Amino acid sequence: MKTIRLSLTTEETVPIEAERISPDQMAGLELDQIKCLEAWLGNRRITLDALFSIQVEGEAQGPESTTIVLEGDFSRVKRVGERMTAGSVIAKGNLGMHAGNNMIGGDIHIMGDAGDWLGREMRGGKIVVDGDAGNYVGAGYRGERCGMRGGDIVIAGSAGAFLGEHLCGGSIRVEGNCGDFPGAANQGGSIFIGGSTHLPGAEMVKGSIIVGGHAHMLPSFVRMEDVEMEGERFVKFSGDLVENGKGEILVAETV
Amino acid sequence: MTEDVLCTFCGCLCDDLRVEVADGRVQKVRGACRLGASKIMGHDRIKTPMIREDGVLREATYDQACARAAQILLEAKRPVLYGWASTSCEADRKGILLAEEVGGVMDTTATVCHGPSILGIEEKGLAGATLGQVKNRADLIIFWGCNPAEAHPRHALRYSSNACGRFTPEGRSGRKVMVVDVRETRSAKNADKFLRLIPGTDYEVISAMRMILGGKADVVPETVAGLPKTQLVETVEIMKNARFGVIFFGLGMTHSRGRYKNVDNALSLVAELNAFTKFVVMAMRGHYNVAGIGQVMACASGYPMSVDYSRGAPYFNPGETTICDLLNRKEADAALVIAADPASNFPRSTVEALAEVPVIQIDPFENPTTLLADVVIPSAIAGVEAEGTAYRMDGMCLRLRKLVDSEFPSDEAILQRIIDNVRRLRA
Amino acid sequence: MIIRGGIVYDPANGIYGEEMDLFIEGGRIAEEAAGPELDASGLLVMPGGVDAHSHIAGTKVNTGRIMRPDDSRMGTEPRNPVCRPCTGYTVPNCYAIGYRYARMGYTTAFEAATPIINARHTHEELEEIPILDKGALTLFGSNWTVLECVRDKDLAKLAAYVAWGLRASRGYGVKIVNPGGGEAWGFGANVKGLYDTVPNFDVTPAEIIESLAKANEMLGLPHSIHLHFNNLGKPGNYTTAIETLDLLKGVQASRMRQVVHIAHMQFSAYGGTGWKDFESKGPAIADYFNRHSHATMDLGMVLFGPATTMTADGPLEYANSRLLHAKWANCDYELEDSSGVVPLVYGRKMPINAIQWAIGLELALMTKDPWKVIMTTDHPNGAPFVNYPEVIALLMSRPKREEEIATVHELVKSRTALPTLEREMDWTDIAVMTRAGPARILGLEDKGHLGKGADGDVAVYNLRPDEIDPSRDHALVKAALAKARYTIKGGTLVARDGEILSAPPGRTYWVDAGVAEADANRLMADLKDKFDRYYSIQISNYMVQDAYISHPNVIRAGLQVREGEDRSSHALAREA
Ligand code: SF4
Ligand SMILES: [Zn+2]
Repeated sequence: MKTIRLSLTTEETVPIEAERISPDQMAGLELDQIKCLEAWLGNRRITLDALFSIQVEGEAQGPESTTIVLEGDFSRVKRVGERMTAGSVIAKGNLGMHAGNNMIGGDIHIMGDAGDWLGREMRGGKIVVDGDAGNYVGAGYRGERCGMRGGDIVIAGSAGAFLGEHLCGGSIRVEGNCGDFPGAANQGGSIFIGGSTHLPGAEMVKGSIIVGGHAHMLPSFVRMEDVEMEGERFVKFSGDLVENGKGEILVAETV
Repeated sequence: MTEDVLCTFCGCLCDDLRVEVADGRVQKVRGACRLGASKIMGHDRIKTPMIREDGVLREATYDQACARAAQILLEAKRPVLYGWASTSCEADRKGILLAEEVGGVMDTTATVCHGPSILGIEEKGLAGATLGQVKNRADLIIFWGCNPAEAHPRHALRYSSNACGRFTPEGRSGRKVMVVDVRETRSAKNADKFLRLIPGTDYEVISAMRMILGGKADVVPETVAGLPKTQLVETVEIMKNARFGVIFFGLGMTHSRGRYKNVDNALSLVAELNAFTKFVVMAMRGHYNVAGIGQVMACASGYPMSVDYSRGAPYFNPGETTICDLLNRKEADAALVIAADPASNFPRSTVEALAEVPVIQIDPFENPTTLLADVVIPSAIAGVEAEGTAYRMDGMCLRLRKLVDSEFPSDEAILQRIIDNVRRLRA
Repeated sequence: MIIRGGIVYDPANGIYGEEMDLFIEGGRIAEEAAGPELDASGLLVMPGGVDAHSHIAGTKVNTGRIMRPDDSRMGTEPRNPVCRPCTGYTVPNCYAIGYRYARMGYTTAFEAATPIINARHTHEELEEIPILDKGALTLFGSNWTVLECVRDKDLAKLAAYVAWGLRASRGYGVKIVNPGGGEAWGFGANVKGLYDTVPNFDVTPAEIIESLAKANEMLGLPHSIHLHFNNLGKPGNYTTAIETLDLLKGVQASRMRQVVHIAHMQFSAYGGTGWKDFESKGPAIADYFNRHSHATMDLGMVLFGPATTMTADGPLEYANSRLLHAKWANCDYELEDSSGVVPLVYGRKMPINAIQWAIGLELALMTKDPWKVIMTTDHPNGAPFVNYPEVIALLMSRPKREEEIATVHELVKSRTALPTLEREMDWTDIAVMTRAGPARILGLEDKGHLGKGADGDVAVYNLRPDEIDPSRDHALVKAALAKARYTIKGGTLVARDGEILSAPPGRTYWVDAGVAEADANRLMADLKDKFDRYYSIQISNYMVQDAYISHPNVIRAGLQVREGEDRSSHALAREA
């Protein structure tokens, strides 16, 4: 088991892009090598040790047995865990945009809040957020037909708008409220929202969205029978019929 | 008298103005609307370059100002270069080169107007046509969330509601004009039909229209966002029965709740209407060359706005690389503002963030942004004092004329001087 | 510059793999030269590649970029001391277009379709493409003035309009796309065949094509008409193709070249009554070309993977977008034409796509004379141009084709003749199809060959023609063609082993054709009226200005050439 601890040593407000902070990139490296990994502070190419104090404990066989611990507020640090296939990242505080971009496996645990584009185009693995998440959780890149394709994202707080846009698989669970348009153009993933939202499932063709609170529904969904789940009644909708969709939305209360 | 002059104010880019020049000055502008004429006549010019020292702007030479600008940009770790919609494409291309050289973010005024339209186009594409096509063929014109009577005064006469063309010899009387908006604007008063929306309900209304168009009216509730279904059914009938229909949309659609999804949905509606008749759609672009900077950037970088060159290769992610987001998150640490006035047009907190970083302004005219600028560089007015290229709202590429000589260098020349200084300082 | 010891293929000059030295002086091939020497001992040497049909600049191309950030993010390369940054795969940015062609040993590329009214945009982009010499073909297939001249059977005025349109757009040749269809699409309709009437204009596509071909020859333009057939992309359309080709048999060429060049033939070589019984008619088309000499074609080869279709055939793109449920961009140009853009992915297991792929190869392999066939992918309609080495490897190697056939949809075996084709092209065939042929077809006298006075555009590849067997070593061939050992453009070494060493600006070709003053006057009166009443811009703002062609190469044609004066041409210039 190898544990790599990073804490920020700068107060810069210019963002840091550090896609090398990932178990795959760090598992096989010694401390000195980790320190020399590339990162970007705005337009400056720098090494990780210019911005972070770094400690390493133990040995790892590969990324599976590598844990990266981020101490402090990492809300300015982008792209952590990008393309990771295994191992874990634990952010003790907030974590910046694009955490878990294209993630394939392993897990990311964010104890604070997550920035926008959490798990963008994710394919596998698990992301847990104890706080809130920004816009475009599990969404795709501009112009692409597919966002997240697999894996799980769990957010204990609330999430921003466009959650799971172009979702093609996997699941997203938000305990709190969610901004407008969750699950837009959903093509087969599942979304659970504990709280309330606005216009879920626009242009969805497959997959499901459950809204535990209230939601304002689009006029292009057909109302089906009411269903009961774990003792609660939900109104079931099918759509989005503008796309001849067969997605399913369960809403506790419509407004 | 110079004929066929282009108006460098709004996205109509009227090219039929006549301008009287005497004593090296514009004396009279004929054929323009009030907005255009006053732009071309000019107003409070910045007289000399200035550099802020101890809180006060002091006169400087072009050499000093360009050198200082280069220094600010080179020292910055995340400079943003913003504006570009009210100058020529030639200046825009220099701006892109400068952004590449200093590793900056290149963003345009589109991000605070039709940026959402671009995001919508990225989802769906856009079924468009030139304005002349509308003039010659359209018998149904819909203005959605825009008020050309105030913002694009000659649009109706030159291109749309009132224009006469080959298949539209009767002009206004042979056409239906419809306005969809949240309030009864002047354009709405001139229309044959006005559909009043509850703010922020564009998306739902469009979805209902798509349902009706697709023969699924039975599923649509009896009222949608306060509008009776019968009214929507009637509207869709009018659209289907047009010979050539067009939707012009404006900030009312792009800047209300739903944002780019509204546009996205409208683009689908128009695409689907083409199964029944000819239908096209166009964004009512504001600044005269905001379409041009989009074209130039797409050609040079692959993306029409919000391009981040900080890592040497273009990266595009509106919401992240858009100037307001950069400022709100305090990511930007310097700004170059050209031919724009963010101090007047951005939200207050964003302007406050802008005030905290060094700002370089290039503009012929003084405006509220001048008050927070650290380097001010006056330039010639593109299309009056300098030649160049601009793109009309429909993508028509036209050449701006030079009408009078200027004591000021063009935007293009100033940017080249900054680039030269950047190269010199770096070497 | 001296290029030593290469094995030179210069079929236009009857050189088929001879070891020789090449000399470039003042940017042109010479008999002797000073300056740097490049060692090409034993390596394959050909003239710089010439692409006669590619979509590299203008509104359609940029629309493709704008609607496809997903594509732009592919192929991203940061800037370096020589190169501006690059993006895109099917819709590369302007810099990538220049560098990527140059890396493959190509030095010339022509944009295949630009409407006169927005040609300024096309030239703005062409100006930004580094290295390459280029030009743009101008659309004439649905312009009101064309339709009216054809209706009135006024060929002289039609020729005057063509000359004026080329000048207004700074265009190189006459492009005709789905003739009449662009006008019909202005009201959402289309023309369905050669003898279908264009609504409101009382002419047929057949009349438009024939008249434009005659006008083209009256003007003696360097290139013939360049035609995108009606019904392109539809099952069963090969009959339209053959009918149209027959129509032009009687037209007399004014120069030693074809009277019609067929754009992306593959898309018009379809049998079947619908998509279910869709099949190849590649053999029938090749057979036609083997029996006739008035036409040439480019392949429009489809390769598997992403593409962005873009064409002035507006109704076709609408149909594509509905069929594929894909993004759809459209732009119709007042009084002139239409256009559309739709992204798609060609799948090797998709029956239609697999058959399309095979048809492109059939056309190339079954047409006996390589001078009649240009190798293209109709970039980026069939595939991005960076895949040319793949096409060449397929043409040169039957084993490679067999490997591929084993992985594509099995209908290729029953609905195409490809599996039976044994022909393997040699380097002469390839040099013709990618250099000498396209240059001759376009009428570019200084391109596509290495004779004295030709442009100093040379490609040297890391391949030893005397040692390798392309049939067996197809992977080697493909790799070597993707990265030329040296690309020399106008005597400047621009690329070495895939690295861009310098990026000088290229030239833009356009054709200035003179016409009789009386015809010009009749035309101008008519145009003045059209601008007053119908166009949304002024005639004086319509013409592309000199400022947009910073390195022009003007080819003269028309009356002035025959009469040795250019008074009449100036008549047009003055009026405009
Ligand atoms: S409508 Fe716009 S472009 Fe035309 S004159 Fe008025 S401001 Fe100028
Ligand atoms: Zn083409």
